[in-house]
Amino acid sequence: MRLRSPGDLAALRDKLLSERGSTGREIIISTDSTCCILRGSLGVADAFKEELAREGLAADVRLRLAGCLGFCEIEPMVVILPQKILYQKVTTEDVKEVVEETIERGEVIERLLYSDPATGQTIPDIEKVPFYQKQMRLVLGPNERIEPTRIEDSIADGGWSALARVLSAMTPEQVIAEVTGSGLRGRGGAGFATGKKWQTTRTAESEDGVRYVICNADEGDPGAYMDRAVLEANPHAVLEGMAIGSFAIGAREGFIYVRTEYPLAVQHLKTAISQAEALGLLGENILGTGHSFSVKIVRGAGAFVCGESTALMASLEGRVGRPRAKYVHTSEKGYHDRPTNLNNVETWATVPLIINRGAAWFAGIGTDRSKGTKIFSLVGKINNTGLVEVPMGITLRDIIFTIGGGIPKGKAFKAVQTGGPSGGCIPESMLDLPVDYEELAKAGSMMGSGGMIVMDEDTCMVDVARYFLAFLKDESCGKCVPCREGIKQMLAILERICRGEGREEDIGTLEDIGRYQVDTALCALGQSAANPVLSTIRYFRSEYERHIREKHCAAGVCKALFRYRIDPEACNGCMACAKQCPSSAITGERKKPHEIRQEACIMCGACQDSCRFDAVRKVRTVEAAV
Amino acid sequence: MAEARADKTGAEKTGAEKTGAVLVVGAGIAGIQASLDLANSGYKVYLVEQSPTIGGTMAQLDKTFPTNDCSMCIVSPKLVECARHPNIELLTYADVQSVEGEAGRFRVSVRKKARSVDASKCTGCGACQSACPVRSTVRVPEPPEDAEDDRTRTVDAIIDSHGKNREAMITVLQDANKAFSYLPEEVLHRISSRLGVPFAEVYGAASFYKAFSLEPRGAHVIQVCMGTACHVRGAQRILEELERRLEVTSGGTTRDRQFTLETVNCLGACALGPIVAVDGEFHGNMTAAKVPSILQRYAGRAAS
Repeated sequence: MRLRSPGDLAALRDKLLSERGSTGREIIISTDSTCCILRGSLGVADAFKEELAREGLAADVRLRLAGCLGFCEIEPMVVILPQKILYQKVTTEDVKEVVEETIERGEVIERLLYSDPATGQTIPDIEKVPFYQKQMRLVLGPNERIEPTRIEDSIADGGWSALARVLSAMTPEQVIAEVTGSGLRGRGGAGFATGKKWQTTRTAESEDGVRYVICNADEGDPGAYMDRAVLEANPHAVLEGMAIGSFAIGAREGFIYVRTEYPLAVQHLKTAISQAEALGLLGENILGTGHSFSVKIVRGAGAFVCGESTALMASLEGRVGRPRAKYVHTSEKGYHDRPTNLNNVETWATVPLIINRGAAWFAGIGTDRSKGTKIFSLVGKINNTGLVEVPMGITLRDIIFTIGGGIPKGKAFKAVQTGGPSGGCIPESMLDLPVDYEELAKAGSMMGSGGMIVMDEDTCMVDVARYFLAFLKDESCGKCVPCREGIKQMLAILERICRGEGREEDIGTLEDIGRYQVDTALCALGQSAANPVLSTIRYFRSEYERHIREKHCAAGVCKALFRYRIDPEACNGCMACAKQCPSSAITGERKKPHEIRQEACIMCGACQDSCRFDAVRKVRTVEAAV
Repeated sequence: MAEARADKTGAEKTGAEKTGAVLVVGAGIAGIQASLDLANSGYKVYLVEQSPTIGGTMAQLDKTFPTNDCSMCIVSPKLVECARHPNIELLTYADVQSVEGEAGRFRVSVRKKARSVDASKCTGCGACQSACPVRSTVRVPEPPEDAEDDRTRTVDAIIDSHGKNREAMITVLQDANKAFSYLPEEVLHRISSRLGVPFAEVYGAASFYKAFSLEPRGAHVIQVCMGTACHVRGAQRILEELERRLEVTSGGTTRDRQFTLETVNCLGACALGPIVAVDGEFHGNMTAAKVPSILQRYAGRAAS
């Protein structure tokens, strides 16, 4: 069936909603998303299907196999409507009980409920769970209401209506004015005003009038996966946003550049595109309005730098993905030297919301200069790992301690890393910082694509800086000297410090090289490469100094600076560590304290993991030698 | 062949005398500076350079690290000084053939290649270069042999499915990499000739992107996620354990071609970190202790 007018779309929506019936009884399972599948969600979904059929409830209770619901820590999660009961970590064995107790009898199963790590109390209602309470799920919201591979769900949920409205009742100028007025800024990291970018692309000269729109889904920041989740769970919103953008800008062709590491996202996108084309929501003469727009998916090939706009376009053209200097912006000369508008997945997915609910509504959320909501992936040493969407201006403390539930095992918070390899580490003293493009930059970090990696007392900040530089050294394209050589030199110094061979002048040298990088590198990758180093020096200078002067890594991460030793007082001779030791370095008889032969020890830490009596300790190398 | 002798003072005869002349190999910025310093200290310098011009890489750069100074502004006065210095003798477009002797009196054979241009008359106008019809023709090398084997047929099918244009190169490489589990040289040649892209560019792309391998890989590919979230949860230790058990370093393939060990920058499933993916199957919440059982599970299995 092909929709020939905006009215057809509205009629289809009404039809879909009326077909749905009014029992309101639904089971939502976080199924169709990479991490849920890893946790066995597909099996759980099948079990529900069978069980409902067996109980004769298949027609009465709607089973919705949604994409990512954000709370990755407790997946696979199941939400029972209309009561809004949240069950966590549901396995196939639990399914029968859930259907019999909760669906049929309305009883709540206590053991499957989420319990708040702070109070220890169970919370049945999903809306009362602290993880969700403080969030404002605008972009992620539809995830629970639609099945990713069913465009009908998206339409019933109001998807594609913004496109219909734009095409039938607005001029391109009005669309751009709306986006500009909303104050939306790029969600990929740099935070450039989206409306302004669209305007430039629209008015830039093109020799043959051809313009392009691109969706940047090359989400390379380690620890960030919100783009994957959006593409997997609701590809329709991204496509709708791109179609709206294409109309505003005057483009007929668009590309989505996706990481090759995200096969499921590619698959869902493909399905969504073919469904939209069949309905006439993409392709020639969309909804009979005369606007045509087609989208092509291009897979990346594993190069972090291809997230940079000029490198991405080079890669699209089939070349090696190296950035160029941006004397001329891609909005003027981009893909094949035509004006090209590139936005991030999240930015595109936000556009339909702005059209539907108005620029004023969107501008009412957030801070002075950062509007709307931002999705963060809250990961690392945190209780509630997952994707959170919060209004701009919320404090880091609220995100980490209220939504994130704090640090596991009662350890102390040390820092939060935002902005991926281009960002920086923010210490506890600055946790009341509001999340905002400018505020984060002032703190020496950046918004970035939204990775938020929480670190506890067991994380060594020198090692974190070393880790990011090692990452960037591999990912530097090698085109400009400051990036290629500067990162290598900084990494060599950091490795030296981690080995306990740091020199007094090293911190100063790192700061110098870091400053030069900012001024001289060609693209954002090189310019921001020193951020992890500079920010950790800024806030954790003493940790660097202890590594250099005292050869001491307080977190016990830098292997050259400590040795494992068994405390004879605490060891009861259970032999557990000796069995685990891969290099047979542990000697001693049963029931007698063991000892580690240091010359054979490979520092793998297996003994410490296996000891149930906390007898394996880390001792500073300088002390162990005495 | 022209032969330059570093011992022109006749040290051969006396045997003990030092010649006081120096041969510098390579007229990049380092060689030029060394020659100038030596020449200014009164030594006779023979500066040998492989290419027809001196200046090396620096003469091709725009800016220098870390001060962002203009690189030609630094190097060009030195080029002129080098050419005019009475103590420096330039031997460009020349190769060092052999070095004999000992410190103080070396005997060096230098082969000077034919320039086919009379240097004493050349004004450096460049007219010959722009008139030469051969210069700007891209010469795509022929594939080594036009054998119609299985590999070529597979590559051809991949190329045909994506349309024969250069924009499809990355996609073609991806599919070829998947089909052969790596990119054999003859496959790259085939892609080069069929798409009309110089081999250097195909090779450039194949070696630039992480998703491609130029070496045959094992029956099972193990990817250790080194994303930040996995890193703070101890991914490094898991990688080390795998390296130790498999006796390969990251990027390597075991001798029996069972396993290839790789790292990947983030699989985007951070809640389950640390993650190890074997043949695309994810194993979450990994510990070093779980490594042997996972290896065992795949060791017997046929390649997927």
